[in-house]
Amino acid sequence: MTRKLLIAAILLLAIVLGWVVWFWQPAKDQAHQGISLADAPTGGDFTLQSANGPVSLHDLHGKVVLVYFGYTFCPDICPTSLAFTSQALNMLDKNELARTQVLFISVDPERDTLEKLKEYGAFFHPSILGLTGTPQEIATAARLYGASYARQNTGSAGGYVVDHSASTYVVDPDGKLAATLQHGTPPAEVAKAIRAALQGK
Amino acid sequence: MKFAFTALTLAILASSPAFAAGSAADNVSANDPYVRLVPPGQNVTGAFVVFKNADDKDHKVVKADNPASKATELHTHVNEGGMMKMRPVKDIEIKSKGEAALKPGGLHIMLIDLKQTLKEGDNVPITVTFEDGSSKKFDAPVRKIQAAVPAPMPMDHEHMHGDMKH
Repeated sequence: MTRKLLIAAILLLAIVLGWVVWFWQPAKDQAHQGISLADAPTGGDFTLQSANGPVSLHDLHGKVVLVYFGYTFCPDICPTSLAFTSQALNMLDKNELARTQVLFISVDPERDTLEKLKEYGAFFHPSILGLTGTPQEIATAARLYGASYARQNTGSAGGYVVDHSASTYVVDPDGKLAATLQHGTPPAEVAKAIRAALQGK
Repeated sequence: MKFAFTALTLAILASSPAFAAGSAADNVSANDPYVRLVPPGQNVTGAFVVFKNADDKDHKVVKADNPASKATELHTHVNEGGMMKMRPVKDIEIKSKGEAALKPGGLHIMLIDLKQTLKEGDNVPITVTFEDGSSKKFDAPVRKIQAAVPAPMPMDHEHMHGDMKH
């Protein structure tokens, strides 16, 4: 009788242990906006606002869309990314360029107005469209692409900064996530990725 | 006569290397400085430069100032697992006989709250102060940076290749 109880107890403990190891997930830290970089991006449709009205990814069906999350108070990383991207756009021929669109999505809607974003995008290249939205709309879009961002107070006179992942997401003409380019990817590589997506590779 | 002799000796000693090793500003040079051109309406930007230290001892830049913006700070970027984080730093060390390169993606002098729109070709005089109180002023022209340097590589190796799709 005791032996059976013992075996039952061991089995029960084994089950509990198994459950803890494989299924139990502690509550994620809610202090950060966005999601951890470990989440695999699936891509997908989203709708955000531009100075000329709402823009949905599906509106751009048929084009290769490069999606980048940043903010205009970023004095270095974002200008670098957009400079590289615009150099890549300048490498495309007229037809390729006509089928390409870059979306700069601001994760700082508090400071980045739609007008400011319109000017910011255009400063780098006419094919760069600045977008933003409510914190909810931005979070939705970011989640789809595996982008993360978190507001930080660093005690700087410039105000808060927004830490953010600096990858460029390449969406193919069918609206599917085709590639994720690391920050600092040379313009020639970016142009190559655009062409590959245009050809449906 | 004796006084003159003493005074002369002291003067010679005072000017010898043992007494006058030169300040940090004497020994550190500011090379190829420039300020990044940003879109109009943008009120923060970064200044970049390569400091070279010819001295036998290390030196540090502890402060920076410029007349084109209301505040000037020293910042760097840290790439932690793909997240770009910009943080203030209290000083920038330039090792003896070495250099400290402030370039896009890394250390930079941040110009905060620009007083007016900077145009390409404008000049921004920047003054840096070193740990010994000496300071150095150099002119940084505003440049449109297209061929920028890539950001520092992520420190988290697990994520380095995770995003590459072929």
